[in-house]
Amino acid sequence: MEIIVENIPRFLNAAWVTIQITAISVFIGFCMAIPLSVIRVSIRKIFSWPVYAFTFYFRGTPLLVQIFLIYYGSGQFQEQLNAVGLWYLFQSPWFCAVLSLTLNTAAYSTEIFRGGIQGVPSGEIEAARACGMSGVLLYWRIIIPRAIRIAWPAYTNEVIFLLQASSLVSIITVMDITGVAGEIATRSFAFYETYLFAAGLYLVIVYGVLWLFRRIENRLNAYLRAESA
Amino acid sequence: MQETSVVLITAKNLGKVNNTTEHEPPQAAVRIKDLYKYFGSLQVLKGVSLTAREGDVIALIGSSGSGKSTLLRCINLLEIPTSGEIHVGEEHIRLVNNRRKQTVPAEHRQVDRVRTKLGMVFQHFNLWSHMTVLENVIEAPVHVLKKPRKEERQKAMGHLEKVGIADRAHYYPAHLSGGQKQRAAIARALAMEPDVMLFDEPTSALDPELVGEVLRVIQDIAKEGRTMIMATHEMGFAREVASHVIFLHDGIIEDEGAPEYIFRKPASERCRTFLSRFF
Amino acid sequence: MFGLEGYGPLLLQGARLTVYVGVCSMAIAIVLGLIGMLCKISASPVVRVLADLYTTVIRGIPELVLILLVYYGAPTLIQDISAMFGHPVYISLDPFISGVLTIGFIYGAFSTEVFRGAYLAVPRGQVEAARACGMSSALAFRRILLPQMMRFAIPGLGNVWMVLIKATALISVIQLPELMRSADIASRNTKKPFTFFLAASFIYLCITIISNLIQQWAEKRAERGIRRA
Repeated sequence: MEIIVENIPRFLNAAWVTIQITAISVFIGFCMAIPLSVIRVSIRKIFSWPVYAFTFYFRGTPLLVQIFLIYYGSGQFQEQLNAVGLWYLFQSPWFCAVLSLTLNTAAYSTEIFRGGIQGVPSGEIEAARACGMSGVLLYWRIIIPRAIRIAWPAYTNEVIFLLQASSLVSIITVMDITGVAGEIATRSFAFYETYLFAAGLYLVIVYGVLWLFRRIENRLNAYLRAESA
Repeated sequence: MQETSVVLITAKNLGKVNNTTEHEPPQAAVRIKDLYKYFGSLQVLKGVSLTAREGDVIALIGSSGSGKSTLLRCINLLEIPTSGEIHVGEEHIRLVNNRRKQTVPAEHRQVDRVRTKLGMVFQHFNLWSHMTVLENVIEAPVHVLKKPRKEERQKAMGHLEKVGIADRAHYYPAHLSGGQKQRAAIARALAMEPDVMLFDEPTSALDPELVGEVLRVIQDIAKEGRTMIMATHEMGFAREVASHVIFLHDGIIEDEGAPEYIFRKPASERCRTFLSRFF
Repeated sequence: MFGLEGYGPLLLQGARLTVYVGVCSMAIAIVLGLIGMLCKISASPVVRVLADLYTTVIRGIPELVLILLVYYGAPTLIQDISAMFGHPVYISLDPFISGVLTIGFIYGAFSTEVFRGAYLAVPRGQVEAARACGMSSALAFRRILLPQMMRFAIPGLGNVWMVLIKATALISVIQLPELMRSADIASRNTKKPFTFFLAASFIYLCITIISNLIQQWAEKRAERGIRRA
């Protein structure tokens, strides 16, 4: 027990690392997923196919493989990466962690928002067209805002999954909650105490994030509620 | 106690003569006394008593929400009455209060056994969607009554023949029309060789043009002398087929009697108003 | 495409173990899922709360943390407890058993939700008709409810399987020589991490594709009698 109490500052630090890595990946992944999902529903196969291949690969393989491919695999191309001046980035576990989590969540989110786009009632799109909207304007003003609201519950799940999946970055030596717990555990042999504490920490963060996303959902769905309810 | 037994003996001697005393003769197929059913604070049945003797065809009429369905569903314990007595054949279904003060059957085995003697036909058919029509019909005889599958298949084909859908025996319910589904459901109920058939508005979920084929099948079954209790909105059918009509209103029996009486000159004003909507 | 430098058979062996671990874990997950579902619809509030606790807690903790907790934490916990009673024992868990149990336990929580959804999707009249024929609740469950639930559960269980098979990669951290671990060993020995992790990822992709095909076939089969001809 003392071991936990002693190390609470380290755990809090690690929790911050976990939240930071997840938040950055979620943010960039979201920004990638919106345009990708629009391309994904394009009828022109030349555009939609590469996106489909990307989502298929990243959703069909374990995140751990993706992390190893980027972190260890980049070593095989050290010379080339050095030549273009990117090697120092790939040397950093933190960068590789964020990169792989970002690509991973972008792939899942793209498919989630694709579902959202396809779920937008065709009548609403027709109405927008009848008003003279088309192309980017139609997507930006009508389809995407509607699709995000439709896909939000599924997207919430994806964020929760990514938050938990971020624990894998500890395997490439990033000191997140799992990484710190592992280090303390192997030093002190207090395995179950530290891992249980780590588990509890994740539970708090996960349900905190869930609460936050539900609040956003309520805000987004204000249009569904009865007035002044 | 002694008095009871005396009356019972007398009743037996009387045979099938209609007995108007409070104690019914043993050939009553279903006997219900003072049935009450509350859903929370909502009183659906407020003291209903009825007796169906062998061969009776009882029609339960009344507007929606009058308690017809609930009464039927209480007979085979799909709803547990809040209080009251239910006798099916020789068996008195024993009800007790559990720890949470809810009425529950004293013995689940008894309920299962009684249900095998009561064939139920539902408003929405409730055919098992993962089985073909034939599988639906033999399911309960084979798995509940433990009868040999081969014989049951043959008997089932006979029942399907009777309801006129033998050619659909190997179809799944989703591939049948509403009228065919309901006839299949009737065959499924018949396959248990029940003492009493319960019909819960069997034609209410059907398109108007399909009602006739189902009513004809039910009429044929009635002619065989089967005991039936049927909640229905088909007044013409009730008048023609029923031997006894019960008008339920707001959870109580407002009026009852032979169809000639109910449909010609019912004493109850409510019953007259209700029927005037149909004729 | 790749010279696997003689490590091909090792990878395939790893892949076989991966599928084996996946199948064993899935079996446990399905059994736990059914038990969990029955608990969730139980009449006893205590049982219901326990089942809710199981699904909420498990779904809020990263798989990796649970795997580490069981593999390293459980033996030390047992040792500590036995030492407290004056009978010190030393035990260590087999990576296969602890891995399969942990993954099965985690995905049992997800299966519980899948089965609960499937249970709710079966119309009440189906069971009612069975009870009206005199079937006992156990017989009605086995003959009517379970087969119909399976139809609704197959898509959900398919998803659980897809996530589960990828999660088995995490067992590599406790040294089980499944696909990930084999790729790791091969890449260390040959100094070609990109080649081997890419190869591993393609094997995972193959497993995903085959699983997809099986799922489609199963869904089609389960739809017998549902779709109009």
